[in-house]
Amino acid sequence: MSDENRSGTRGARGASRRQFLSACGLGVGALTGLTGAAEAFEFDLEEFFQKHFRELSDDEVAEVLERLERKYSKQYGKEVTIDATGPIDGVVYGYGLDISRCIGCRRCVYGCVDENNQSRDPQIHWIRVLEFERESAIRGIDLEEGNPYYNHEAVPAEDKFYVPIACQHCEDSPCTNVCPTGATWSEPDGIVVIDYDWCIGCRYCMAACPYGARHFNWGEPNVPADELNPDMHLLGNRPRPRGVVEKCSFCIQRVRDGRYPACLEACPVGARKFGNLLDPNGEMRFLLENKRTFVLKAELHTRPKFFYFYGRG
Amino acid sequence: MPVDREEGEGTPRPPSYQMATWALLGGVLVLVLVLVSARGRHGPDTTRDYPSRSLPAEPVPVLLPPPEMDPGYWPCSDCHEGEKTNFEVRKFEEEHDVMEFKHGTLWCLDCHDAEQRDTLHLANSDRIPFSESWRLCTQCHALKLAEWRAGVHGKRTGYWWGPKEYRNCVECHDPHGPRFKPLEPFPPPWPPRGPGSTLVEAAHE
Repeated sequence: MSDENRSGTRGARGASRRQFLSACGLGVGALTGLTGAAEAFEFDLEEFFQKHFRELSDDEVAEVLERLERKYSKQYGKEVTIDATGPIDGVVYGYGLDISRCIGCRRCVYGCVDENNQSRDPQIHWIRVLEFERESAIRGIDLEEGNPYYNHEAVPAEDKFYVPIACQHCEDSPCTNVCPTGATWSEPDGIVVIDYDWCIGCRYCMAACPYGARHFNWGEPNVPADELNPDMHLLGNRPRPRGVVEKCSFCIQRVRDGRYPACLEACPVGARKFGNLLDPNGEMRFLLENKRTFVLKAELHTRPKFFYFYGRG
Repeated sequence: MPVDREEGEGTPRPPSYQMATWALLGGVLVLVLVLVSARGRHGPDTTRDYPSRSLPAEPVPVLLPPPEMDPGYWPCSDCHEGEKTNFEVRKFEEEHDVMEFKHGTLWCLDCHDAEQRDTLHLANSDRIPFSESWRLCTQCHALKLAEWRAGVHGKRTGYWWGPKEYRNCVECHDPHGPRFKPLEPFPPPWPPRGPGSTLVEAAHE
């Protein structure tokens, strides 16, 4: 650095109060300019300054919901309602799937896509149905051997069995542990949710998830307006922006109103079960007490709340 | 050799240049603060303070009405009334020949009543209407009855806490051949897009 430069610094240090104030003025001016630019580029400042979902007051949540309803209603040309309904006291959700009955028809996959506004192109499926050789089950299920791309004329194919996989809503979830921004967490009712406004798209959670249940929006998500499900939850099926991770939310917009998830209703063989794990008379407890039940990758101690069972025998 | 710090005092830069430097620094500082406050922070450790919601009283499950009877066959009495009953176990060649019979060794009259044709009968010969056919099925499939009542066997729709809709056995199972028929699967997912993917090649053509 030359002496001339140093003298410049010295000069600045000796700058007058007036100069400093005018510089501050310029800074504010720059910020005002930013606002203008933001409007010009349809950049939402409110969205940018929005706090983490868990730090929002009730009034702020109401503001966010109203803003998003306005935005999506305009974008899709139909009335959209978004809520942020909270958990119910004394409820922890659990899911049961009867792999002795699943026939691999993928009705659940598309029931989920329709309910949860997943992108059609690029394609995102929250549920993947893996096909396994019956013989391989003798050695135990190795998820690596599962084939999600099977395409038979009719299912179930001979000597095959099927294991649909979506988010397992783990009690000790590796995905939420690694998230650097706290954009994903476990709700009091056990649902692992994502704040799409807080996700920075680093995809650490996808690397951490042992079940491949998380999906990234590489492109701008695309849902045709006439197929959009207008009944939305802020942490669930509302349209996602590009560059965020998404996954199964147990149909948070349905189950917190007491309804069954969409995949369960789509299943033609009744292989899917859902209920409150804390209800001693509920179907989930009957299932856990009376059926042979297992969880995927139990050795990882993620403690999933998604249970697979053998309904026959 | 120590630098003479007083040297520059006599030759200050033009004020406009200094102001621009300050403005730039100020702008950058504001931008950094905005970015840091908006993104560079770990999320809160507490759960959100949701308002308390409690479950209403336990709902009563709702048994949906049984499916419509096939008007091609129903009511049975249209054809069978006044006809002499043939009790012989045989293969049908004229009527009911397109139906599939795959339900163990059961014969029609094990379930269908020979005297009152539009009813079924239990093993103890009690007559029951077709709408209560589940009572007939569960004579043999008693374990399934318990699971069906608990909601672990059979499809349910509606509400996990609310009017739970459940269905008669014959809604899903054909009583004459109860095993599910194979279905055409919905389309498989797209293979991953990436180098070497056929989809990428197709998109570039």
